[in-house]
Amino acid sequence: MMKTKTILWSLNLLAAVAVSTAVQAADNLVRYMARPGGSVVVEGTSTVHDWEVEGKIIGGYFMVEPAFQTDLSLKSVKSLTTKETNPKAVISIPIRSLKSGKDTMDRIMQEAMKADKNPMIRFTLKEMVVKGEVPESGSPVTFATKGDLSVSGVTKEIEMDVTMERKPAKTLVFKGEKKLKMTDFGITPPSPKIPGLGSIIKTGDEVTVKFTWIVKAR
Amino acid sequence: MKKENQMDLNRRDFLRGGSLATMMMMMGGVPLNAAEEKAEVNPDGTTNYKGEAKPLPVGVIGCGRWGREIIQTLSTIPFGPVVAICDTYGAYLRRAGRMAKEAKQYADYRELLADDNVKGVIVATPTHQHKQIVLDALAAGKHVYCEAPLAHTIDDAREILEAARKAITVNFQPGLQNRSDKQIVNLYNYRIKASVIGTPLKARGQYHRKMSWRFTSPNPEREKEINWRLKRDISLGLLGELGIHQLDMINWFFGLLPVSVMGVGSLRHWDDGRDVPDNVQAVLRYPTGIFHSYEATICNSFNAEMTKLYGTDSAILMRDRHAWMFKEADAPLLGWEVYSRKDTFYNESGLVLGAGATKQTTHGAKSTPSTEEADPISPLQYSLQAFLINSYDHGAAVQDFTSMFGADDKEALREYLVDAQKSRVAAATVEDGYTATVTAIKANEAALKNGVVEIPESLFKIS
Repeated sequence: MMKTKTILWSLNLLAAVAVSTAVQAADNLVRYMARPGGSVVVEGTSTVHDWEVEGKIIGGYFMVEPAFQTDLSLKSVKSLTTKETNPKAVISIPIRSLKSGKDTMDRIMQEAMKADKNPMIRFTLKEMVVKGEVPESGSPVTFATKGDLSVSGVTKEIEMDVTMERKPAKTLVFKGEKKLKMTDFGITPPSPKIPGLGSIIKTGDEVTVKFTWIVKAR
Repeated sequence: MKKENQMDLNRRDFLRGGSLATMMMMMGGVPLNAAEEKAEVNPDGTTNYKGEAKPLPVGVIGCGRWGREIIQTLSTIPFGPVVAICDTYGAYLRRAGRMAKEAKQYADYRELLADDNVKGVIVATPTHQHKQIVLDALAAGKHVYCEAPLAHTIDDAREILEAARKAITVNFQPGLQNRSDKQIVNLYNYRIKASVIGTPLKARGQYHRKMSWRFTSPNPEREKEINWRLKRDISLGLLGELGIHQLDMINWFFGLLPVSVMGVGSLRHWDDGRDVPDNVQAVLRYPTGIFHSYEATICNSFNAEMTKLYGTDSAILMRDRHAWMFKEADAPLLGWEVYSRKDTFYNESGLVLGAGATKQTTHGAKSTPSTEEADPISPLQYSLQAFLINSYDHGAAVQDFTSMFGADDKEALREYLVDAQKSRVAAATVEDGYTATVTAIKANEAALKNGVVEIPESLFKIS
């Protein structure tokens, strides 16, 4: 395990170095890295009861031009006010970190989401534009975003409103909520037989994903 | 100690040896290749997700009788491959090797710990050898399952406690298997915690068997070594080596730790040079005035192993992996007992408290205690399954967290792992292992002393 971890780490570092050098050279962006403290909740339904899974690992990064840190009105931050240029962001969530409190249900979810082949849920930002007024304090701000969501090996473009709060120590808290359909991502909602009774529990296709993502400038 | 389950092992070996298809043909089946890959959805709309646990390759250190029982049990769990075994005694190692053919054999546990294929270890050596092995295993980054009692001295037990608490990236589980046994966990969660016995008064437990507890060997040196249980300087005797599971269960059920223990012990029958009593009793006193009277002997087998809990509303009898409740006439109506099956004991009627026993389908069913089938999964199997699943999940949590946030912020990692414990499959913690070991050590001390031993609160204090 140590070995795999080291390799994974080196790869991550390598990727991070590659990305940051490329970006610094091209756009001179400031980089915010994900920090612990965020959460993702997926709420769903079934014919017997509603269910919920929660994860506490939301990784990734957010990169934007330096003006973002000084101009709280965001007026001069081109990537957040126009669609021509855009900030860069990737959000990653390991599927096996999503927990329901019942280990068998967690493993069924991982199986349904083909986590062996696609261990991550990944959102890659494509567009991010301020929506409505930016308060004088610069926080909170709502953005209309567009990006690619990859789950179970299927990538779909989604649109979602995201709010951002500025916190001390160059920390940002992003919050968003989105209704999704499992079948859009090729996931068959689990429908097990109730042992002993013969009837079937049907899991609803639609789920609501709510997330809080915390990033901090390096 | 436990029933041998040789048949299962042989069947497994057979399945492993021959291909499944050949066997099916021998049995008259026609191979259908299309059916081998099961579709995700059946015609009736049900799905085929199995939710199987991921394998955790383990090494077993100590291949004596109990170590082999562990290997045997692991052979029935698909996600617990035994990849390494270790014993200093060649004959034991070879015997265990025949049960776990794929496992690499080691005479030195340090070499087993250096084996990268081993992700978790199960320590089943004599009690006094646990400490060094456990400390080295934790230092090597292995998940550790350590048989109970953790150690034969409080100092050793505390060293294990502290090392395991410090090693946040691995899972530690003491072999207190009752804490994973679905029957007992259900009884605790739905009955004991719900105070069905009313105000708790006392518990009574016993472990009665007729056995010498001595193992024979053609080699006199070896005979000394394998009979470590009969020497009081390294053995916790009947109360510690056998009674610890029941002593721990009462600590758990009452949610309390004993403040003193009064004990008696004598050597009445197996006077063969041993200095460990074969006949003991202990009364443990708990802070609120509850007590637990526990007795163990290897000179008489009457009524075998059982535990009884007494409260102002009812008593609960646990025996042969079954439980019954006996209500007082003035106890409040609980509701579920209407559906409960009833068994008759002499002139008492007991409500059956098995997992699922109060389902409506069992309403009115009658049975006698002797014909009722026990849960086919043994407490040891439940316990090992919990260890394998929790260790895999723990390792995955560490990997996921550090791959996203790095490994520098130890405090954030610890916080995350503590939170992740909420999803842990029911299993004893290192703290449970430590308090149970202290309880057993003090009970044994009282029995050897034929007197009262106080247990200062500070002994149980965990910083």
